Amino acid sequence: MLGMFKAMRTTLRHLPMRKITVEYPEQRDRLPERSRGLFRVVIDPASGEPRCRACTLCETNCPVQVIRVNYTSKYQLAVPNVARVATRRLEAQPDVDLKKLQPVLDDFYAHGTGLIAMLQQTQDVYGYLPRVALQELSLQRGESLSRLYGVASFYNQFRMSPVGKHVITVCHGTACHVAGAPLVTDAFCEELGIEVGKTTKDELFTLQSVSCVGACALAPVVRVGDDDTHGRMTPDKARKLVADLRASEGVE
Amino acid sequence: MSSPVGDKTRAIRDALAAALRPEGVVAHQGELEVRICAGTACHASGRPAVTAAFKDELATRGLSDKVRVVETGCHGFCEQGPIVVLQPKGIFYPRVRTDDVAKIVEASIVGDDVVENRLYKDPKTGERVALEKDITFYSGQKRLVLALNGKVDPYSIDDYLTLGGYEALAQVLVDDDPDKVINVVTDSRLRGRGGAGFGTGVKWSFTRRSPGDEKYVICNADEGDPGAFMDRSVLEGNPHVVLEGMTIAAFAIGAHEGYVYVRAEYPFAVERLARAIEQARERGILGEDMLGSGFSFDVHINQGAGAFVCGEETALMASIEGKRGMPRTRPPYPAVEGLFGKPTNINNVETYANVPWIIRNGAEAFAAMGVGNSRGTKIFSLTGKVANGGLVEVPMGSTLRHIIFEVGGGMLPGRQFKAVQLGGPSGGCLPNEMLDTTIDYETLIATGAIVGSGGLVVVDDTTCMVDLARYFLEFTQEESCGKCVPCRLGTKRMLETLERICEGDGRDGDIELLEELSHYVMDGTLCALGGTAPNPVLTTIKYFRDEYEAHVNEKRCPAGKCKALITYFIDPEACTGCTLCAKKCPTNCIAGDKKQPHVIDVGNCIKCDTCRQVCKFDAVKVRSGIEHAAGVAGEA
Repeated sequence: MLGMFKAMRTTLRHLPMRKITVEYPEQRDRLPERSRGLFRVVIDPASGEPRCRACTLCETNCPVQVIRVNYTSKYQLAVPNVARVATRRLEAQPDVDLKKLQPVLDDFYAHGTGLIAMLQQTQDVYGYLPRVALQELSLQRGESLSRLYGVASFYNQFRMSPVGKHVITVCHGTACHVAGAPLVTDAFCEELGIEVGKTTKDELFTLQSVSCVGACALAPVVRVGDDDTHGRMTPDKARKLVADLRASEGVE
Repeated sequence: MSSPVGDKTRAIRDALAAALRPEGVVAHQGELEVRICAGTACHASGRPAVTAAFKDELATRGLSDKVRVVETGCHGFCEQGPIVVLQPKGIFYPRVRTDDVAKIVEASIVGDDVVENRLYKDPKTGERVALEKDITFYSGQKRLVLALNGKVDPYSIDDYLTLGGYEALAQVLVDDDPDKVINVVTDSRLRGRGGAGFGTGVKWSFTRRSPGDEKYVICNADEGDPGAFMDRSVLEGNPHVVLEGMTIAAFAIGAHEGYVYVRAEYPFAVERLARAIEQARERGILGEDMLGSGFSFDVHINQGAGAFVCGEETALMASIEGKRGMPRTRPPYPAVEGLFGKPTNINNVETYANVPWIIRNGAEAFAAMGVGNSRGTKIFSLTGKVANGGLVEVPMGSTLRHIIFEVGGGMLPGRQFKAVQLGGPSGGCLPNEMLDTTIDYETLIATGAIVGSGGLVVVDDTTCMVDLARYFLEFTQEESCGKCVPCRLGTKRMLETLERICEGDGRDGDIELLEELSHYVMDGTLCALGGTAPNPVLTTIKYFRDEYEAHVNEKRCPAGKCKALITYFIDPEACTGCTLCAKKCPTNCIAGDKKQPHVIDVGNCIKCDTCRQVCKFDAVKVRSGIEHAAGVAGEA
């Protein structure tokens, strides 16, 4: 009993005090006055080399002379970790051309694009978000890779693996659901031999579902790619659609 | 006599007049015009080909410079797309196909007649109706926000200006009194159209009174509710009205920057809005020193990335800031601490679109419509098994019966009304007995449903209410951001229970368990997603408890929807042996000779419903009950 009152007293004593916790990482408490942070050398995606040209401007201007520019080969940078990441990420996904990312980065440096818009642009370039591209964005933005993954995995729009040539999207809005969208999805799964969200082995088809495309009058709606909309679908029409698409690709 | 005030007034009026470039105007009154609806549904049902066909046909007849072909915003009658309206008479042609175009041009443009068999047919009387204004779908509505949809070309600011666009903004700038604007909006008793129904004027005055030089206005166009598309249609059909409303709000609260948060799933809306902003900037209506008034305001578009929870205001702002879209505790409300920590006013598309009308026509005219504390009109997107689906704008206080059976033309032929689902995943299902419920914020909350964003999905007797509840919970479970445990895990447990019931494994006490969990979820979550997620379950239990009991106790799905509880069979009396079902069956489990009744091999049947859909004689039927399904499968 006494213990409880003691605990209550502690609680009450702390109640009017200023809160000392913050919602990290959205909010960060002010760093200690003498905190210096870390330097980082930005890597140019086009060449894979550091953007630093060793002009020594920073070295001469630094008021406390903490920067020293060493004239060494690029693999012995002052921040060795960055160089290692740079080579390793290129080896990991050789088919991802980081040069294509340049317009996205240019846009970021020119206008300070928001993170989500930047990820959307990256997805427009590659069709998905390749790991190396995310690593590149993380280096260029100076934000941790985990934060980028956190944002990318939160939103349904972002994909982490390549998609097939034809992306089949079945609308699962309420109107489509009551008009039989689940049966249409089942027919696609059966016909393509994949689950929703997956891509066929021949990389021709990706099947996905979306919560509403807003064309409820045509329920159930199926979209192939971005613009080819098919309304009033049935399982039978779904099988025929797959057959037609396969025929157009010359696949049996 | 010239005073500084008079000079400024004249300057603003002149600037507005100068913004209009008559050569760009397409909506000339009294001229021959072919207006083709360019909304998403009409686009998907063949609008581009129809437009091309009209242009070709007019060119071959040498009429190209006499008759204008205009692609307008959504006409709202999506069920009948592609829609073509011939002006000035207003002859309405639904479901136009390219091969009808020549006939229509011949009869109604060259001649003074109509193509009788292509006219709209009233589902009740069966009569053909020629004029747009005589169609019950339109005559039963009161269009305020949608008034200009279908009249203006969304790509042309001149169209909007000709029809009185930006007049309200000019008037506000001339008066130069933010408090007056807020008073007018408060007196009109406009409430937020996004779902929560908070007083718009009150919200604006909070934001205005918040200290700080930097403030923001946000337009919430993250219309995530499945089955709702009114915001999309307004943005696609008449983006300027939203911009005008936003600018007035910005002036009232003293903001200089605005964001429109649009779903990326709405590419047309984004494109048209971007064009509208660009045009408004070019003409000096947006940007620095707009219309020479000294007030500056600019708008950015921010595309969402497919997260339902971002429709919640704090989550939306987190998303604009480039974070995971998770709601946070309120207070502090956005009016005090919003985007980037600054006071922010956030309203829905439809709310902003109401503002110019209110300024032009006065608060009394707006407050004269509606009942109780719900004033003005509300747009609903009417979909499902109803004859005339589409966008319906009616005064607050109309009954569900009026919307579904008058404006919507009743059920599809041969269908029986069972329930209407209001307000998407946050709303509820109301049965036949509740059809005379009036639609206003307070009455609907009392029934367990909500006005929400305004989705109305009509379902018939072939829809299983348990399955519908399961569907909504699957949606909210998927879209829960995961911050609050009761929402993340509670909806998961509820979904598992509902899945169990639909699979025929329901246990005694499952219904009570669902009710109990619902209350925990509603009480223990931060935002409205969790707080309203159990509504579909609670209302279906409240009004359709017998269906739940049939699933749990008798292992039977009365609507014949839940796959685990049904068996397909062919009625030998009705089957004519046409072999169509056998040909279409993907698993080849239907056997039978020509002209002999067919039989389904239940063991191989995957219940894909194809045979029932293709049968022309209604010979394929569904039996309900698990013992039945198991018994027959065992025999086979």
